Amino acid sequence: MNGFRTAMVVEARKATASSTLRATGVLLALGVPAIVAAILAAAHGGGTPQARAQMLAKLGPEIAKADWHALVLASTQVTAAASVFAFGLGAAWLVGREFADGTAPALFGLPVSRPAIAAAKLVVHLCWAVIVSSVLAVTLALVGLAFGLGVPGAEVVAGLVRIVVLGTLSALIALAATVAATLGRGILPGVAVAAVTIVVAQITVFTGATAWVPLAAPALWAMDPGAVSAGPLTLVVAFGAACAALTIALWDRLQLVR
Amino acid sequence: MTDTLLQLAGVAYTYRGGAGVHDVDLEVRAGEVHALVGLNGAGKSTLMKLVLGMLRPQRGTVEVLGEEVGDAGREVWGAVGALVEHPLAYGELDAATNLALAARLHGVAARDVAGTVDAVLDELDLATYAGVLVRRLSAGNAQRVGLAAALAHRPRLLVLDEPTTALDPAGIITLREALLRRAAAGAGVLVSSHHLDEVARIADRISVIAEGRMIGSLDPGGVDIERAFFAKVHEAVTR
Repeated sequence: MNGFRTAMVVEARKATASSTLRATGVLLALGVPAIVAAILAAAHGGGTPQARAQMLAKLGPEIAKADWHALVLASTQVTAAASVFAFGLGAAWLVGREFADGTAPALFGLPVSRPAIAAAKLVVHLCWAVIVSSVLAVTLALVGLAFGLGVPGAEVVAGLVRIVVLGTLSALIALAATVAATLGRGILPGVAVAAVTIVVAQITVFTGATAWVPLAAPALWAMDPGAVSAGPLTLVVAFGAACAALTIALWDRLQLVR
Repeated sequence: MTDTLLQLAGVAYTYRGGAGVHDVDLEVRAGEVHALVGLNGAGKSTLMKLVLGMLRPQRGTVEVLGEEVGDAGREVWGAVGALVEHPLAYGELDAATNLALAARLHGVAARDVAGTVDAVLDELDLATYAGVLVRRLSAGNAQRVGLAAALAHRPRLLVLDEPTTALDPAGIITLREALLRRAAAGAGVLVSSHHLDEVARIADRISVIAEGRMIGSLDPGGVDIERAFFAKVHEAVTR
């Protein structure tokens, strides 16, 4: 893969200047904690009794305790839904913007190969997802401290680390958007796939489907690690790797037929 | 070392619907500006896409710096500069950063990037805009950034599709001088254009393309190049 290191330098520089990635990352890293803070406030007795009852029905009775365990549980559920879409959006933009902005033709005839450029985009995407997920976990810890939940124990820390892993696994699932953005020659096809992915993942989780469905496994594992074996999680990694390989292969064979 | 930097032999590519290029032969030698002129939809951009690997020829061969285009590697592409359709410039980055990234993508070593960028900013009269985001530049100045990206690494072969698009008269003169300098230094230039007067000023050879076929050439020193061009096109399309 000619010029991968150079492609990494270029793609990383473009990513750091991207308002799309910055805004999406901030919305996820601060938006999820804001939602969780609202849930904890409601569990503490805020809001109307009907709204509180509805929330507990959706998120489970354990939320009512409004402790660290409730924070991790609520955060995991919200992150599972939000991260697939947010990272799908980022992935769709990273790849699809070259077509939408018209810069794709300029990526031909270079000593840095298109597969190297595509691979660099995927690595940048995963690095961005890990950073955003880590900031999210730290912000969630700050929310817990702000609510006076005390010093988090080892189990809580493990739960927050699982949220980082959940975000990373969601970013792998979101790589389906890079395939769609390449095939559809734009950002919107990738966003559409991200939207479909989140809907399917949520339906799969809430209908109690098997963890062997890659879209459902990370969320089911993060909520109850003991209930999901390594097999389904490996399948998620394999799904992400397959999407990455397909994207790189498509960029290798790319033709700009009008 | 071959004197021929670009050679197309019997090249054909047909889009669904029938448009494209058919049985095209074309050559660009070191030290010459070879202009390609034709009406809209004649096949100029398709030809350039074939040269750069954006399209794979359905028939014939394209050789860039002596290598079949499908087999060309780092060394070949590092010696090519191109601007086809849209400049290699991202709106969220300033002109200098765009040029630095383009230089890296064209194989310029990290330690040489700053000097390379300064030189091309100066050559294309862009220094004033070095720190301005490309999305804030006028279309003409954004085009200049794209041309600078294609020229910065001092390629042996330049492939430019309608490079004067959006340029003001000063920009056209700056580009003309840059291309003539590069050709004088031994580079080969393939340039497409609608502007016959401009082409006549810089080209050593002018090839005319119509309906995807090369239909002849024009004398850059001819007295009425526009009349000669339309006569050739008319003859080709009514044949």
